[in-house]
Amino acid sequence: MSDTTVDNDKRTWLIASGCAGAVGGAAVAVPFISAFSPSERAKAAGAAVEVDISAIKPGEKLTVEWRGKPVWIIRRTPEQLEALKKVESQLADPESKRNPAELTPEYARNQARSIKPEFFIGVGICSHLGCSPSDKFQMGPQPSLPDDWQGGFFCPCHGSTFDMAGRVYKNKPAPDNLEVPPHMYLSDTRLLIGEDKKA
Amino acid sequence: MAEFKDVPPNAPAAEKALNWIDNRFPLSKLFKEHMSEYYAPKNFNFLYFFGVLSMVVLVIQILTGIFLVMHYKPDADEAFASVEYIMRDVPWGWQIRYMHSTGASAFFVVVYLHMFRGLIYGSYRKPRELVWLFGCAIFLALMGEAFMGYLLPWGQMSYWGAQVIVNLFSAIPLIGPDLALLIRGDYVVGDATLNRFFSFHVIAVPLVLLGLVVAHIIALHEVGSNNPDGVEIKAKKDANGKPLDGIPFHPYYSVHDLMGIIGFLLVFCAIIFFAPEFGGYFLEYNNFIPADPLKTPLHIAPVWYFTPYYSMLRAITSEMMYGLIICVLAAAYLGATRAKISSMLKGVVIGAAVVLVALMLAIDAKFWGVVVMGGAVVILFFLPWLDNCAVKSIRYRPDWHVYLYALFVLNFFVLGYLGIQPPSAIGERVSQIGTLFYFGFFLLMPWWSRMGETKPVPDRVNFAAH
Amino acid sequence: MKKFILSVILALTSALTAMPALAAGGGIPLDKAPNRLNDLGALQNGAKLFVNYCLNCHAASYMRFNRLTDIGLTEQQIKDNLLFTTDKVGETMKVAMDPKQAKDWFGGNPPDLTVIARSRSGAGGTGADYLYTYLRTYYRDDSKATGWNNLAFPNVGMPHVLWELQGQRKPVFEEIQAHGHATQVLKGWEQVTPGTLSPLEYDSAVADLVNYMQWMSDPTQATRVRVGVWVMLYLLVFFVIAWRLNAAYWKDIR
Repeated sequence: MSDTTVDNDKRTWLIASGCAGAVGGAAVAVPFISAFSPSERAKAAGAAVEVDISAIKPGEKLTVEWRGKPVWIIRRTPEQLEALKKVESQLADPESKRNPAELTPEYARNQARSIKPEFFIGVGICSHLGCSPSDKFQMGPQPSLPDDWQGGFFCPCHGSTFDMAGRVYKNKPAPDNLEVPPHMYLSDTRLLIGEDKKA
Repeated sequence: MAEFKDVPPNAPAAEKALNWIDNRFPLSKLFKEHMSEYYAPKNFNFLYFFGVLSMVVLVIQILTGIFLVMHYKPDADEAFASVEYIMRDVPWGWQIRYMHSTGASAFFVVVYLHMFRGLIYGSYRKPRELVWLFGCAIFLALMGEAFMGYLLPWGQMSYWGAQVIVNLFSAIPLIGPDLALLIRGDYVVGDATLNRFFSFHVIAVPLVLLGLVVAHIIALHEVGSNNPDGVEIKAKKDANGKPLDGIPFHPYYSVHDLMGIIGFLLVFCAIIFFAPEFGGYFLEYNNFIPADPLKTPLHIAPVWYFTPYYSMLRAITSEMMYGLIICVLAAAYLGATRAKISSMLKGVVIGAAVVLVALMLAIDAKFWGVVVMGGAVVILFFLPWLDNCAVKSIRYRPDWHVYLYALFVLNFFVLGYLGIQPPSAIGERVSQIGTLFYFGFFLLMPWWSRMGETKPVPDRVNFAAH
Repeated sequence: MKKFILSVILALTSALTAMPALAAGGGIPLDKAPNRLNDLGALQNGAKLFVNYCLNCHAASYMRFNRLTDIGLTEQQIKDNLLFTTDKVGETMKVAMDPKQAKDWFGGNPPDLTVIARSRSGAGGTGADYLYTYLRTYYRDDSKATGWNNLAFPNVGMPHVLWELQGQRKPVFEEIQAHGHATQVLKGWEQVTPGTLSPLEYDSAVADLVNYMQWMSDPTQATRVRVGVWVMLYLLVFFVIAWRLNAAYWKDIR
C-alpha cells in the first residue's frame, strides 16, 4: 500500500466528516438560535387588537395599546382634512417618502396617510426620542405654536410638531413622520390594529 | 522566554497569522504538548471513551443551561410555570430542556463508567494519585451541582427531595440546625433556598467544575495516561525518546474520540427524542406536580444516580449502630494486638476507638447515616493509599480479585435499586449487608489486595492491529 | 476482563428486572385507555369536552388556546366554539374561580390540569390510563360532602362532573379468599340511573377526553418523534463516516 492511497483514504473520510459535522453543527444551531426569537407568550401579548370605532365622534381621538405602544385612532373632521393640504410646504416629508417600509404601509401612502380619509391611525410616539406628543387639535395661535396652526400634535419633550396626518414639520428635532401601524378594517365599525391584508 | 520568531515575507497569510500569535501566546506549543506530541498508550479500549464523553456532556450542560436561564424564572411562584413556558412557548425550548435533563443523567452514567475504568485498571496508583483526587473532587462537585439543579423546576420531588437532604444536615450534633438554617436561608425550603441554589447551580459550581476539570487534565498530561494493562509506556522509549507503545493523541485519539462521541450521541439523542422521561427515571413523574409545602408525596426517592448512597443512609438504623460498634471494636482490637506500631500509637488507637464508640452510642443513628453516606464518597479519595496489590490492572490480578470487583459493582447496583424502592424489612437487611460490603471492600483493601497470586505483567502492552 | 463482564451480566440479569419508577400510589388496578393520540377527531372531541366540563373549576394555565391548531382546528373554529373564558385566541386556559372560594367549596384548590397526565404516569399505567379509570369509577356515596366517591382516587374532593353523561352507578363487590383472609374484589357495576350516553358511548367520550389531556400534557410529542427519526438517521450516517475515518488512521498503528 503506497503512501498516496493511505492519504487519499484519510482525505476522503476527513472531508466526509467535515461535511457531516458542518451539517450537524448547522442543524444543532437552529433550535438554539430560534430560542432567541419571540416566544408564544410574547407573540400572544403582541397580538393584533380589535377596536370598535363606532362610538368615536368627529374630532375625537381614541387611544389603544398594541405591543406596549399607544396607538391613536382619530376621526378627522372635514376642516382637519382640508388643513392637510394647506401645511404641505411646512412639512419635512409631506409625501412620506422617508423610510416607507418602517413608517408608512402601502395603503397609507397618500395625503391623509390612511385607508379611510376620515380615520387616522398612528402610533403616538415621537420619532425623536420616544415621548408621546400631546393633542393640539384646536386651530389658531397658541403658546409654543405658530399663529397659523392648523391642528395636530405637539411633543412636550423637545418641541417637535406633527400635523393631523402625523407628518412632522420642518426644522424640528424629530426626523420622521409618525408611524402608521399595520391595520385593516374588519367592518365599518371594527378596526384591527396589528395585522393587515397582506400579512 | 521563547525567542521572537520571524517568518519570510512571502509566507502564506495563515502562517504569518499563526506566527504572530505564537510570538505572544504559546498556541502551537500547547497544541504540540497536549495533542500532536502528547503520547498516549495505543491499547485504549472502550472504557477509555468516558473521559472525553464527560467533557462533552459538561459542554452540553453548560450550553443548554445558558439557553434555559434565558427563560427560567428562579422564583418559587414562577419557577414551575417558567419550565412549562420553556417546554411550550419558547421555540424549540422543549428540545433544550430535554437535552439538559437527559444530560444530567447522562453525566452520571458517563462519570460512573469513567471512575469504574480508573478503579479496575489502577489508574489512581502512583504517580497518578493527584489525577484521581481531582477526579473525586469533580465527582463531589457534580453531586452538589445535580442536587441543586434538581430543586430548580420546583416540582414535588424537587421540593421534598431538597427538604429531606437539607434536614440531614440538621442531624449534625451542636451545629446541625443552624447549619441547615444557613443552607436554606429560611425555616423551610422556600424561595430563599431556590434563589441561592440557582446562583450556585448556574455560576459557582460550574466555575469550580471547570477549574477542577482543567486541573484534572493538566495533572493527567503531566504523568501520562495509564492503560488497561497497567504497563508504564514511558519505561520503553525509542531512539527519539518517544514511548514505543505510545501514539500521538492527535490525530489518532482525536479521530477515535470523534467516533466515540457520535456513538454516544446516538444513544443520547435516542433518549431525548423517543423516551426523555426514561420510565420516570430521568424526569420523575411526581415532578410534574408543582411543589406543595403542605403535601408530602407518598414516596420520595432521590434521582437514580444518588440512590446507592441513599440506600446506605437508610441502612444505618439504631440496630445497625450495634453492628458498626462491633466493627469499630474489632478493628481496634486487631490494631492493638497485630499492628506493628509503637505502644503509644496502640494506646491512641484504643483511646480513639473508645471515644468513637461512646459517640456512636450517644448520637442518633440519623447523624451516623449522614456520616456513612458522606463517607462512602470520601473514602474514594483514599483509594490510592489503600491499594497494596503488586499489579495495577485487574487483568493481572488473581482471579478471585476479579470476582470481588464484580461483586462490588453488583453490590452498587443492588444498593441503587433498593434506594429507589420504598423501605422494607428485607430491603433494610440487604442494604445493611451491602453497606458493610462497600466499606469493607475499601477499608480492608490494604490487606486483601496483598493476598493471592498475581499474574506476570508484560513489559509491552497487548495490542492487536485493527 | 471477559470473566468480569460475564459475572456482572449474569448477576444483573437475574437481579434486575425492568421496573418503571413509582409515582403516587393508592386505588385500584388501572384500565388501559385506548390510544387515540393520532386521531385528530378524537383529540378535538376531547378538547371540546375538556373546555366544557373541566375549565369551569380547573385551569390549564400553561395551555394556549391557539395551540389547538396543532390538532387540526383553525383559529376561527377555536374562537367560535371553545373560547369561553377569554376573547383572545393566544391566551392560556385560565379559570375564573377564586382559589379561596374553591377551598371553601371543595376542601382544596382544584389542581391545574395542563400536565396532570404526565404526573400520573407510573408503574400501573400511563397518565391516560389513570384518568380513564378515574373518570369511569365514580359512585354515589351519601357519606361524602359532594355525594360522590371514586374507586381510583378514594375520598376525592371532586364531584362526578360527567354524571349526566354516565348516569349513576354502583360498584358490585365480591368477597373472595386470598392469602388466607377475605378480601373484597370488584366484580362489576350496576347502573342505578341511566345517563344520556350508553356505557360504550361514555367510555369512548372519556377516552377522547383523556387522550386530549395526554396530548395537552406533552403537545410537542409528535414533533419530537418526527425530528428524532431524522436525527437518528443523520447520526447513523455520521457514525459510519467517523468509523471509517478512524479505521483510515488506525491502519498505521502496529
